[in-house]
Amino acid sequence: MFLTKLAIKNLVRHRNRSIFTSIIIAMAILIYIFFDSLIGGMSELSYETIIDYESAHLQIVDKNYWEAKDELALDNLFTIDERVLEGVKNLTGILAGSRELNFSALLSNGIDNLPVMGKGIIPEEYLKVFALEKQFVEGDIFQPGDYKAVLGKRLAELLDLGVGDYITLLVKDNNNTFNTIDVEIAGLLHTSNPNVNQNIVYLPLDLAQQALSVGEQVSKILIRIENKDQASRLAEELGLNLIKANSNLAVYSWEELEAFSFLGAAVLEKQVILAIILVIAAIAIINTVILAALERLEEIGMMKAMGLQNREIVYTFVLESTGIGIIGGIIGIVLGIITIWFLSVYGMDFEALYGVDMASFGLPILGKIYAAWNPAAFIEVFVFGVLVSLLASILPAYWAADKDPVESIYHR
Amino acid sequence: MALLELKGVRKIYRQGQIEVPALRGVDLQVDEGEFTTVFGPSGSGKTTMLNMIGCLDKPSSGTIIFNGKELNELSKKDLAMIRRFNIGFIFQSYNLIPVLTAYENVEFAIRLINKYDNKEIRERVLKILAAVGLEGMENRRPHELSGGQKQRVAIARALVKEPKLVLADEPTANLDSKTSEEVLKVMVKMNKELGTTFIFSTHDPLVMDYARRMLEIRDGLIAEDRRREEINVSD
Repeated sequence: MFLTKLAIKNLVRHRNRSIFTSIIIAMAILIYIFFDSLIGGMSELSYETIIDYESAHLQIVDKNYWEAKDELALDNLFTIDERVLEGVKNLTGILAGSRELNFSALLSNGIDNLPVMGKGIIPEEYLKVFALEKQFVEGDIFQPGDYKAVLGKRLAELLDLGVGDYITLLVKDNNNTFNTIDVEIAGLLHTSNPNVNQNIVYLPLDLAQQALSVGEQVSKILIRIENKDQASRLAEELGLNLIKANSNLAVYSWEELEAFSFLGAAVLEKQVILAIILVIAAIAIINTVILAALERLEEIGMMKAMGLQNREIVYTFVLESTGIGIIGGIIGIVLGIITIWFLSVYGMDFEALYGVDMASFGLPILGKIYAAWNPAAFIEVFVFGVLVSLLASILPAYWAADKDPVESIYHR
Repeated sequence: MALLELKGVRKIYRQGQIEVPALRGVDLQVDEGEFTTVFGPSGSGKTTMLNMIGCLDKPSSGTIIFNGKELNELSKKDLAMIRRFNIGFIFQSYNLIPVLTAYENVEFAIRLINKYDNKEIRERVLKILAAVGLEGMENRRPHELSGGQKQRVAIARALVKEPKLVLADEPTANLDSKTSEEVLKVMVKMNKELGTTFIFSTHDPLVMDYARRMLEIRDGLIAEDRRREEINVSD
């Protein structure tokens, strides 16, 4: 108990040094919290952006189609009975469902061509699943049977197109025969999803099915649910129901989409930051303990003369360092809370600040990024900082405690 | 009764290839309650002998028996326990812990032996501080005390656990003669009242005036061992 008291008093002995070391640890913790919240914010935004404009919460597809879904082939499509679809839509927790036919196409304005992804949709269904309705910057959505299309404003700009202009989509139909679809641009979209803005052309489903010679078949049924955290459970439940109608069909939740693979990189990034914290905190603590030991040589010698064992002297140094870690951790957490509050309210516009477009990193984000609160990260990094402070001090403390008492007392 | 016995104790320091003998075969017996000074020129081996008696250093050869135990055979931990329970140290440079008050510096030593409850500890610490003339200064930190007062705290720290032996290395070296005398009187008083054995290493003639036994060390050997009648110390 007395040694604990001594360690606490030693903590304020070189106040400036203790504060300086604490601030180093605090800064390391703040950096982690900052990145964690930003990555959390990006993830949240990415989830919303992909779910709201591309993937929906659940996708019903043929299992074989899912294996090669990026090829946008017209194999392994399926038809679904209207009654089965209505049954799906009426399940508890499901808000809406929409059919979609995906295909690859070459978009032409008569002069230039660009490869795009075509989507045949039924507007009435589709706008209940995706948040596209309020994203029209010009024109509006088409109606079934119209020879019209909707595309992203960015894509339109690339080909110098506007509402009312005609475009041609060159496609390869189900019989491997080239076909063209000539449509008028009904509306232009601008969303927070760069993929929608520059790669996708929406057409009426019936028009696409006719041009691609696929009959009534679709690639996917996209489903919006009430709570995205329930996606896996609902996917399983729905899968069991659908297998009765078509054993080849499977239900996949948004979590299984490759578009979210960047989250793995984010986790790796956090681990790298943790490692940097480890090194920074360890160096600061080791430096502090060695300086303290050198200054207190006579004291260490006297303590040994009084009969203290090495482990008791180590305890005082380790406790002192742990105290510095706790102070640094608290400062770091407080600064973290202030920073995250600011960023969660005002956000951070990387494009405006640094001219960096997140889409160029493969992140489906446009505009400001808002920090996300993650209390678990605060606890984790605090405990981590304190533990590093504790562990880093053990070896230098042993070095100090193992000094020869005679040499220490007489400063030889 | 012998508290301490040194038999043929030698200590050789190595400085690179050169061997420097500090003690060349010391034989000595110190009884309980003795008030002894060890004097001699610088480098004669006084401090080396005190360090070995105090279990801080080990002899190159020879035997030291303290309180019936042969020190050569003991582990570092056992030696630390002997220091903790049986030996008090007073050094020339006081070696007080600057973040602790006078009271806490003394309390530290008695807490280590884990023998008394909080109330007893408080009573004993206050009593010893009063005995060394520091009543009312318990809450002062070392930087708020004079050299003499610091040395008194060091004495109180050495004595509070009532050790069998107190080793004092040049305890008056940094003190003026008046303060030295005051400090010495405190130690003589403790020697009488508690029966504590004191061994001093010193150059100071004043310390020798107070000693009942004087050991002169020259070139690592005890050159002279004189005893005299008890000194009367007035308050």
